[in-house]
Amino acid sequence: MAKTIKETLLGTLVHGEEILQEIDVLRTVSPDPIQPVDPAAAGLKGLHPKEVHLVVTAIHDTGKNAKVFRLSGKDGYLPPFEAGQYLNVFTEIDGVRTSRPYSISSSPRQRAYYEITVARTQNGFVSDYFLDKVKVGDEFTASRPAGVFRHQPVFHSKKMLMLGGGSGITPFMSMIREVLDAGLERDMVLLYGCRNAEAALFHDQLTGLAANFANFRYYLVVSDEDAVWDGPRGFITAELIQKLCPDYADRTAYICGPEIMNEFCVKQLQSLGLAPKHIRREMFGAAKDITKEPGWPSELTGDEMFTVTINGKQQIRAKANEPLLTALERAGVRVNVCCRSGECSLCRVQLAGGKVFLSKGMMLRKADEKYGYIHSCKSYPISDISIVL
Amino acid sequence: MENYDVIVIGAGNGGLAAAATLAEKGKNVILFEKHNIPGGCGTSFRRGRFEFEVALHQLSHMGTPDKPGPLREQFRRYGIEQEIDWIQIEELYRVNFPDGTGISIPVGREKCVAFLQKEFPAHSANIARYFDTVYAFAEQAAAFAEKSAQSTGEPGAMKKFIMKKGFPKMYPVLAQYGLKSSQEVLDEFFPNCPKLQLALSVYWCFMGMSPDRFPWSILAKCTYIYMEDKPYYLRGTSMMMNQAIMEAVKRMGGVVQLNCGVKKILVENGTAVGVIDEHGNEYRAKKIISNISPIATYGALLDPQDVPEAAREYLKPYTVGISALTCFIGLDCTPEEIGFTTSFTLNYESLDANKDFQCAYDLLPETDPLVATCYTVDDPEVSPAGTSVITAGTLKYGAAWEKLSPEQYYEMKYEAGRRIVARLEKMYPGFTSHIEEMEVATPLTHMRYLGHPGGAIYGYEQDLRQSVFFFPTESKLPGLEFASGWVNACGFGPNYTYADKVATQVAQEV
Repeated sequence: MAKTIKETLLGTLVHGEEILQEIDVLRTVSPDPIQPVDPAAAGLKGLHPKEVHLVVTAIHDTGKNAKVFRLSGKDGYLPPFEAGQYLNVFTEIDGVRTSRPYSISSSPRQRAYYEITVARTQNGFVSDYFLDKVKVGDEFTASRPAGVFRHQPVFHSKKMLMLGGGSGITPFMSMIREVLDAGLERDMVLLYGCRNAEAALFHDQLTGLAANFANFRYYLVVSDEDAVWDGPRGFITAELIQKLCPDYADRTAYICGPEIMNEFCVKQLQSLGLAPKHIRREMFGAAKDITKEPGWPSELTGDEMFTVTINGKQQIRAKANEPLLTALERAGVRVNVCCRSGECSLCRVQLAGGKVFLSKGMMLRKADEKYGYIHSCKSYPISDISIVL
Repeated sequence: MENYDVIVIGAGNGGLAAAATLAEKGKNVILFEKHNIPGGCGTSFRRGRFEFEVALHQLSHMGTPDKPGPLREQFRRYGIEQEIDWIQIEELYRVNFPDGTGISIPVGREKCVAFLQKEFPAHSANIARYFDTVYAFAEQAAAFAEKSAQSTGEPGAMKKFIMKKGFPKMYPVLAQYGLKSSQEVLDEFFPNCPKLQLALSVYWCFMGMSPDRFPWSILAKCTYIYMEDKPYYLRGTSMMMNQAIMEAVKRMGGVVQLNCGVKKILVENGTAVGVIDEHGNEYRAKKIISNISPIATYGALLDPQDVPEAAREYLKPYTVGISALTCFIGLDCTPEEIGFTTSFTLNYESLDANKDFQCAYDLLPETDPLVATCYTVDDPEVSPAGTSVITAGTLKYGAAWEKLSPEQYYEMKYEAGRRIVARLEKMYPGFTSHIEEMEVATPLTHMRYLGHPGGAIYGYEQDLRQSVFFFPTESKLPGLEFASGWVNACGFGPNYTYADKVATQVAQEV
């Protein structure tokens, strides 16, 4: 076949002929470059599948208004995770598709199952469902394990100070189990704040582990004044941290618990001189009562209903004290979602008109601020609004 | 079913620019993006107090407001030039050598030549001759490109013969250097002076190809463009630029669907006629522009019987390119405190870049050349006062990472991060103690977010037989075009301007 003008001219370049010949040979001998698969998805199937399909294989009632759910892979496989990460579990309850992020409490060193622990919350739409309805054999879809609340070995200290509150103990269970099961060279001190000893999840197990392992110390800190308890009392204050963990300055501190406890503990650590790099926090979900957050417009009670116009077409109603994401889910509007804590940005929408209240802990990009994007999981409508999905 | 003039698949740099250009020209265009944000490689993410740039180091093709380059002109057409705070970068880059010395290259031909002549007086004449050659090459390449653009169709045998004889005489520098590797040319000009060679070959790392395989034509073009148009950065990371383009698309009447990937390209009578999105909705258009890899476009979006045989043959000589291992680091100190002075640095463990580059095939960083960028040097506001943002990493092929079992992954990922931090600690004592946030991205991370085979960050390998004159620009399926870095020079400036060209052509056809 006659050469094209392009080939003819390239042939006049130094090395031109040899490169053209090489290409000719490759056209003959190379394998078929087009395969009927998505090459990236195929390569990541074991490590980062888009979602995981789970089946409940066991349920343990802790007797403390919380149940432990053991979830296995529907096809027998579960991807690895880092201790401290969560699963965003999707549910459909009364026709509403929603989801909740739950920290995995089992050790990443075994992956026959993941365990999550669901504690009952006041008016908990999803927690009630898990505690009252879910049974062995039920199936769920969840996001792959996600989140950055974990021990990052490159720059975190090998000595960990864990401050947990209530059901915020769950990621620590995974971390503690991993370190002790695998015999990792790490030292852990856990201060676990609860109202009383009866409400403390995994209390017996943690007590037993602390008795058996020199590199793990455990203190339950009880806050109810009338509770029967002979250990430390009150909140997890700077004073208490200093007393129970005198080498706190050598440690990386990890905080997971309700918003109030989380904020309180950060202040205690800061007052002890810990720099931000030594304080790692798990984000928390929507506020229990958003109207109590500083900056909430005083003229609103939270019970007001507003109209949300979506993409200039659909209109739905939304309550001021509920996250916009909840209103969208209730109306059956498809929204991408993962952390529900303001961090991951998957539920990002653009605010085209009206006003929203942005709750604490929303991690926006500079471009989001400039072009009006918000994370719907931590945004509350405080007027009629218009959004673009 | 919805009808459009053009459907664009993927809101990376190329897809965004293609959609913006089409919308600007009054075309009815829809852009699909499977992620929740636009940008592809050109995006950012948040950790703690920091927002991390994912990909952009230095934006080319911008030029100054008075002497605008093609990209600035393009952004003017989109109406976004004024929306963005552009930051002109004062130093091109710094090369650090294993003996602790280093060279920072100033912007501007005269300054740069004078500086290099002072540093390497024995090579003074050759330095001047080298830059003359770079400029002559750039000018001849531009002249030839302009001439080619005017000609249509294949000339007859006689004319071909005349052109063949005339070409080397009309474009002598192009003919001599157009298909040489960077190493070959640098050896010719600067034999036995590895430091000077390394000071001039830096742009190999922008395309992920070692100097002995990296086309000198790209090196020359990069050198020319960054000298003339000046490198730029911007406030708010590349995410700001890409969000601005996306908003421009909408403002000019285009439709953008985030969180909505394309599942399938519809083919009728051998022509692409529409797509089905991941939710099952059907869209029809006169043209489809793919901003994803040709491999995934043909392989994953077409029914096997719709894949043209010609496409298989056409793509055979092309091999999937390199990925990267990157640490995104937020420090709780200023760049001055640790001694970081030039934003973009390339750091060598030996004076043999080609040998060190071979480590790219290994799993973990060994003596790989290390690229480290401190964005705070260019933009002190990139993170809170008293902190800084650094990304540091090496080029890595995905293959060794793809072979890991899922169980080995996290351990290897952090080991890789540890090694990169150890290299930085050696250069900037005290570095590790200032780390406040840090994420490690491996080739598998890039694969996950970009959806590219091999986690490739520059598309196909940008070597002598796959790039420049040989980019796989052609589509073998009527109705389908490509606009991504897989089919042209990779990088922000080249991607935006190439997609603009493709979209301009498509706009004339629909």
